[in-house]
Amino acid sequence: MSVPRSGLSRRRLLAAGGGLAVGAVLAACGSNTGRGGGDASPGGMALSQWYHQYGEPGVEQAVRRYAGAYGKTRVDVQWRPGDYDQQTAAALLTDSGPDVFESPGPTLDQIQGGQVVDLTDVISGAQPDFNPTVLGPKTYQGKVYGIPQTIDMQMLYYRKSLLAKAGVQPPSTLDELVAAARALTTDETKGLFLGNDGGAGVLGGVPLWAAGLELVTADGAVGFDDPAAATALGKLHTVYAEKSLLLGAPSDWSDPAAFIQGLTAMQWTGLWALPQITTALGDDFGVLPFPPDGPRGRPSVPVGAYASSVSARSKRIAEAKDYVKWLWVERADFQEDFALSYGFHIPARTSLAQRAAGLRSGPAADAVRFTTENGHADPLLWTPRSRTALQDTFSRIIKDGADPSAQLASLVSTVSAELARVRK
Amino acid sequence: MLTRLLGPQRRYLWFWIFTGPFVIGLVVFSYVPLLWSITLSFFDARNTVTPTHFLGFANYARVLTDADFIQSLGTFALFAVVVVPATYALSLSLALLVSQLGWGRAFFRSVFFLPTACSYVVAALIWKMSIFNGVRFGLANTVLHWFGAGPVAWLSTTQPPWYWLVIITVRLWLQAGFYLVLFLAGLQRIPATLYEAAAVDGAQPGWQTFRYITFPQLRTTSVAVVLLLVINAFQAFDEFYNLLSSSRGYPPYARPPLVYLYYVALGQGQDLGVGSAGAVVLALIIAAATVMQTRWFGLGRKEP
Amino acid sequence: MIGQPRGLARALRLGLLIVLAVLFLIPFYLLVRNGLATDADITAPDWTFLPHVLRWDNIPQLFGDPTVPMARALWNSTVISVLTTGGTLLVASLAGYGLARVPYPYANQVFYAILGTLMIPSAVTFVPSFVLVSSLGWISTLRGLVIPTLFSGFAAFLFRQYFLGFPRELEDAAKVDGLGYWRTYWRIVVPNSTPVFAAVGAVVFLGSWNSFLWPLVIGQDQQAWTVQVALASFITAQSVNLHELFVAAAVSVLPLLVAFVLLQRHIIAGVERSGIDG
Repeated sequence: MSVPRSGLSRRRLLAAGGGLAVGAVLAACGSNTGRGGGDASPGGMALSQWYHQYGEPGVEQAVRRYAGAYGKTRVDVQWRPGDYDQQTAAALLTDSGPDVFESPGPTLDQIQGGQVVDLTDVISGAQPDFNPTVLGPKTYQGKVYGIPQTIDMQMLYYRKSLLAKAGVQPPSTLDELVAAARALTTDETKGLFLGNDGGAGVLGGVPLWAAGLELVTADGAVGFDDPAAATALGKLHTVYAEKSLLLGAPSDWSDPAAFIQGLTAMQWTGLWALPQITTALGDDFGVLPFPPDGPRGRPSVPVGAYASSVSARSKRIAEAKDYVKWLWVERADFQEDFALSYGFHIPARTSLAQRAAGLRSGPAADAVRFTTENGHADPLLWTPRSRTALQDTFSRIIKDGADPSAQLASLVSTVSAELARVRK
Repeated sequence: MLTRLLGPQRRYLWFWIFTGPFVIGLVVFSYVPLLWSITLSFFDARNTVTPTHFLGFANYARVLTDADFIQSLGTFALFAVVVVPATYALSLSLALLVSQLGWGRAFFRSVFFLPTACSYVVAALIWKMSIFNGVRFGLANTVLHWFGAGPVAWLSTTQPPWYWLVIITVRLWLQAGFYLVLFLAGLQRIPATLYEAAAVDGAQPGWQTFRYITFPQLRTTSVAVVLLLVINAFQAFDEFYNLLSSSRGYPPYARPPLVYLYYVALGQGQDLGVGSAGAVVLALIIAAATVMQTRWFGLGRKEP
Repeated sequence: MIGQPRGLARALRLGLLIVLAVLFLIPFYLLVRNGLATDADITAPDWTFLPHVLRWDNIPQLFGDPTVPMARALWNSTVISVLTTGGTLLVASLAGYGLARVPYPYANQVFYAILGTLMIPSAVTFVPSFVLVSSLGWISTLRGLVIPTLFSGFAAFLFRQYFLGFPRELEDAAKVDGLGYWRTYWRIVVPNSTPVFAAVGAVVFLGSWNSFLWPLVIGQDQQAWTVQVALASFITAQSVNLHELFVAAAVSVLPLLVAFVLLQRHIIAGVERSGIDG
């Protein structure tokens, strides 16, 4: 039996051609995406700057505008969707990571691992002008590793009309908050929205601060080894168990949609949501800090800042530091624009915050007051491992109804071990 | 000596010509990173892939005594114990139903096979945002509303753990079609004469025929299906990640090993040493399970 | 009389199938329904099977959105998936044939070594892989996006199983005619193996189209985004653009669905005859 020949030589040509084509395309399209290695520009290679994807419209155009205005070298802005922390973590391990990048604050591991550059000289003259609460966690052993960009904070928004209808006063203690949430819950609306996980993820140290405790003491020890913590967390479980909490909304706590749509009477969300809420609800809302609990309790709001850092693996560290200094220390106009023109943040520099018109009255002024009087930031020694352990503990207490004292005891030992590790 | 190396009829050379490109690529892009990971697992590798601090087995000890890791293995076991038989049963039942149709077989087969075209990301999106979201306009809650029940926060409630329903159904939807096709192929191979002989012997159509003819004849298909299902269950990550994770991380429940390791190694903390150690432990477990199954079912044997 | 119970049973079976089929189609219906609605319609408390107004202009709005290069992402996904599929088919089929048909004393060991990679969860090797590719200088290049993904143990496995069951008579005839392994493969085996190529090709294309993590970290430029990466950008940390999200998801799934519907006969034949279940 002879092998039929017709059509096979065509197939072979096709196969060979296909193989060649694949090879050719791959070889030729080496750097067709623009960020190839040897991009020549005035002053040599471009600096790459990474931002995470901000939700507010206009931010991306704004940051590109700032980068474009920098005359000394070209700056490539990369806008990263998805899990930003994970991407930067992976990218910082390679030589193709960013030169300048923002992060919620370089982590202690990143600082101790030498992944970020000391920026103390960049900030030197202006250091007193930066809000100390947010600058503190960027500082390690006296050196600054991240320049705060804007201050984010979160607070409790409440619908004045719904509270009035239910005859409820804005809560000034945690017990009142629980009671208010219960009273405000109807068939159509829930009383309180702390996130789809019942508050385990977003609250962090807030209930502990509200009970008058700390996450980490000044000597680097666990700050919440106290029965007051168990009491406060138990009350959070109560509000969950009484079904006063909104759960499973299509978007999470960071989106004020649930509050605006009337799915909930009170929502814990960020300052960034203020413009959206104002547009939708006018003045039918007010803001509060997280209410105090117990005799030592004080109202509290969490405060944080994304900071700009320079990667230690950058090939142009001096230029990168120069750029960071220009944008985040010198160009006050850009800083103010970034903080206030898109969404709502408080500028990291106190002088700017004080003179900003938009922050002088109404709920925005309240927010600034909360930040100044009751603001707490996660300390640098509060590592992701501690944070995750805290979140898991909260989740078990709030949702599973586990015994708060027992859960906290195990949390304390985990955190102590972690603090011991990082205090070196 | 060179001719000896090349084998009779230079067969060995030909073997490597055929398999060479693939094996080289595999070595470079699979085995090198794997070995690198294993190396990392013996070091204190935080935020670095070129660590210097040798730790011996300390990372392994840490992982094996970590309550969260053990719990994640338990989560996986629970998940596998439910999802493997459920998918098996669903796809087999669908295959039996479809194969017994006179007409429209192709249509139904396509309908069930279509979800395979969907990515886990898109499916998780639909499940999380539209079907099982916790407020009143979710489809599941709307149906509940028609029956007079209140809305349920499917993904947030831990008592009872409704999120399992969401996770299992999304996987069933995505995978049943693929295994349906495999079962249909297996069913087609059963000679009709067997059924005729059984009918002559007085076997009732339905359960009896299934139990004594169909099911035993599907043995090789069933083996392959179960093996694939188990391997896929081990790799479960996408649906869990997309359904349950939030900007703040991941809840402490329904956390399978891969999600846990992902957050250890790539999340907000970057402990690559411990993450790699956990991954090695996991891979050993998977390997042991797979080897057991292949030995048992003799998959490595070539046809005579 | 004998026919009736059987008729009833058959009707019941058909009814059950129809119910299940409807259930299986619901998610696709939801994609379309939500994609053509406004946010208000999606979040309205009263369920409507069709939105009050079918917003077909959601689709051009999606492509016109300056913050998300959807058209470009679709193109990127297509190019990457096609190249990945072609490359994988080439390399894996050769390997499968070598394992199945070229006698070699250590063939089994090589096969197990290949199979072993199936059990390595990709999340494990992700960071070292990324660092490796970066040190090769392949970040933001097509090479970096395609080449590392070509070496699929699963594809090699499927090809091997299939070629094991290939009718030897054809190859023996070729041997008689004096054709070596290479020419036998390209002239006899490949043209007669369309089902397995179709099946593996479909699986690989699908996997490549739907992959998310690797394109995200390798293709760092927005111009290099694939469809899945673009989808992720609708779920920002702070807000969700519901209708745009659903229409983008629908757009990302649609090409695959169309391809599936048109090619399913070949794909299914391939899966059946791949010998995976034998």
